[in-house]
Amino acid sequence: MDDMEDDTTIFSTLKSFKSFISCPDRSLLETEPAFGRSGLQNLYTKRVELEEAAERVRSHTSLLQLTQEKQQMELSHKRARIELEKEANSSSRDLQREIDRNRELLLQIRHLKEREEKANQELNEQVENNKALKRNFEELHKKANEKDSKLAEADQMISELKDETRRLNQQIQIQESKFSTQNLEIQALQEQLDVQRKKFQDVSQRYQNLQSSHSTSTESELKMKELERRLALQEQDSVIVKNMKSEVARLPELEREIKRLREENTFLRETKENNSLLREETEGLRRKLERVERVMEEKLKVELEKEKLEHELQAWENIGQSTGLNIRKPEDLSREVIQIQQRELNLKQQNYTLNSSIRSVEKTRTELMPEIAQLRAKAQEEQKKRENQDSLVRRLQKRVLLLTKERDGMRAILESYDSELAASEYSPQLMLRVKEAEDMLRKVQTHNTEMETQLSKAQEEAGTFKLQAQMVTAELEALKEQQVSNTEKNTLATAEEVSSLRQKIEELEAERQQLEEQNNILEMRLERHNLQGDYDPVKTKVVHLQMNPTSIAKQQRTEEVEQLRVECQRLRDRLRKIEADGVMTTDDTTLIIPPSQEILNLRKQMESAELKNQRLKEVFQKKIQEFRTACYVLTGYQIDITVENQYRLTSVYAEHMEDSLLFKLTFSVHGKSEVLQFAV
Amino acid sequence: MSKTLKGITLKGSAELVAEFFSFGINSILYQRGIYPAETFTRVTQYDMSLQLTTDAKLKNYLTNVISQLKEWLFDCTVQKLVVVITCLETNEVLERWQFDIDCDKTAKESGAPREKSIKAIQEEIRSVIRQITATVTFLPLLETACAFDLLIYTDKDLEVPEQWEESGPQLIDQSEEVRLRSFTTSIHKVNSMVAYKRTNSM
Repeated sequence: MDDMEDDTTIFSTLKSFKSFISCPDRSLLETEPAFGRSGLQNLYTKRVELEEAAERVRSHTSLLQLTQEKQQMELSHKRARIELEKEANSSSRDLQREIDRNRELLLQIRHLKEREEKANQELNEQVENNKALKRNFEELHKKANEKDSKLAEADQMISELKDETRRLNQQIQIQESKFSTQNLEIQALQEQLDVQRKKFQDVSQRYQNLQSSHSTSTESELKMKELERRLALQEQDSVIVKNMKSEVARLPELEREIKRLREENTFLRETKENNSLLREETEGLRRKLERVERVMEEKLKVELEKEKLEHELQAWENIGQSTGLNIRKPEDLSREVIQIQQRELNLKQQNYTLNSSIRSVEKTRTELMPEIAQLRAKAQEEQKKRENQDSLVRRLQKRVLLLTKERDGMRAILESYDSELAASEYSPQLMLRVKEAEDMLRKVQTHNTEMETQLSKAQEEAGTFKLQAQMVTAELEALKEQQVSNTEKNTLATAEEVSSLRQKIEELEAERQQLEEQNNILEMRLERHNLQGDYDPVKTKVVHLQMNPTSIAKQQRTEEVEQLRVECQRLRDRLRKIEADGVMTTDDTTLIIPPSQEILNLRKQMESAELKNQRLKEVFQKKIQEFRTACYVLTGYQIDITVENQYRLTSVYAEHMEDSLLFKLTFSVHGKSEVLQFAV
Repeated sequence: MSKTLKGITLKGSAELVAEFFSFGINSILYQRGIYPAETFTRVTQYDMSLQLTTDAKLKNYLTNVISQLKEWLFDCTVQKLVVVITCLETNEVLERWQFDIDCDKTAKESGAPREKSIKAIQEEIRSVIRQITATVTFLPLLETACAFDLLIYTDKDLEVPEQWEESGPQLIDQSEEVRLRSFTTSIHKVNSMVAYKRTNSM
């Protein structure tokens, strides 16, 4: 097929080649009409086409080569495949053979395995059988051992049983002997029985005789029996009473012992109490000692202080005597001091008022002095003015006089001239003269006025100078008056006032010193109080926390104290209960303090003693009862103690209760006995 | 810290004084043996080793009092702090450690810090605490079981919280007083003194 395919391919390629070859011819042919173009181009194109065809041919050839190679390869492949297939076949055949062999081998293996398994199984079975056999063997061995042990045990048992049989035989023998003795006893008893039977028969006969005879006696006998029973009961009661009496007789001894023990207890308690009391007393005495010693010291101090105070008292009394005042008590002193102080205060007040008044007066005076000076100056001025005016007035008066005189003169002249006129013609001359005179007058008047003005000026100046002089004199006089007043004052102030003032000054200085000392002392006290922690309640307050350690500690202390008190009270109650009971009973209250070992031992001893007593009583009672019954039975007489040393015997066969014998016994060396009464 | 390098403010001064009281009270309790020595632990403060309590209840109580005291120091309403030591058996006051506090109220108004170095203040506090330790030599022995209490003297009109109550001054009957050193932060001045009951020696 491949070859066919190759052939086809070859054919196909040949066809294609041919076709190709034909195509370029066509293409060439097709391109022939296109000669219109250049020949080179045609050549070029032909070359190109030829090259392309060549290439195609080359490619085709390469293709053909490749195809050929491929075909060769395929052929080789096929050959290889064929060979491989052959080999495969062979190998498959080998495989199959081997497989067959394997199967056979496997079968063999299986067979072998089966055989092995079987063999194993057989082995196991055999092993198991062995084991089982071993176990059986062991079991058998064990069983054999057990059997041996059992046999041994059985042997032991047998031996034991044999021993036991021996013992039992011995016991049997003993019992047989006992039996024999008992038989003998029985025989004896039987004999006794027989005897008693005989007696019984006799007695029965008698009884029948009696019965027959005494029907009423049976009743009486019944009554007797009843009475006897009562008697017996009473005797038992008497026995009990006697026992009780014996007990009672013993009781005082016990009570004595108890009393002794109690006394000892009380004595011990008292001693304890005494010890505690003594200790307390010693402690109290020690404290008292300490207190007394402290008191002694304080007393010494107090005595010293007392001496000091006495000295001071004497000093105060001396002061009282020295001052000469009526002083008996310090109260008087204080009163007088107060009075003196009051006087001083009053004097001081007066002094101050006086000083103030003096100062005010001086002030007013000093204020008034210039006014006075001014007023004086004014007065002087006015005086001067007045004088000036007086002088002026005088001057004016003088002028007036002068003028009047001049007038008069002039009038006279005029009159003269008038008189003269009539006479002559002297008028112009007169007129001239008059004018001259008038001029002269005027001049004189002006001169006068000038002079007067000058005078007035001078007078004014003189007046001013006088004023100044008077001012100065006034000042001088004022100063002189002051000096005079001072001197007057100095002279007026007497020695007494000076001395009194000096005294006042000294007293004031002393007071100041005292006040300073008091101030220092008060400051010291304040400082001390401040150091101690004092404070002004108005300005300050003291606060602290409510839950502070001191309050907590105090609370704890009070709680402890209360707990201790409660415990003490409980202990006291317990003690009282114990003392009231007198016997160590079980405590109803809870035990707070465990009892001491001595008390426990004493309690145990007490209990044991009581138990012993009780047991002894019971034993004695029993023994006495037995003894008494034995005596009664054996001797036939019941012995009772009626009074001390008197014994009463009553017989078994007594008919009446009162039939008894009374004896009196005195236990001396010889042992006398007397018979007191005999009653039937 | 309000204690600036520049100076001391009112708040810083209050804190310094409160701190001093905290350590001072612990030292007094240790020195006088009010509480067992094993309940105290050593700490370093003011360049010296001091004892501080480890008891929780006591610590709680001290912090309560000191915190309230700090407030009052800031308000300048506290005048004194007193440590009172009482004997439990006889309920007598045996010792009184009194610290007077003077507050400069102008510091409250102005607010400007004052110039005083913290080292100088600490030096002064150190000397006071040393003196407290040294007083143990001449104070009488406290032989019985004792408890202590802290009293604060304040202005009369101050409102106190509910847990605080008024109490008496708890003065000592027949006492000897000793004045100790003082220190100042330039705003608060603290004077210390101790008063103890005179012992009648046999």
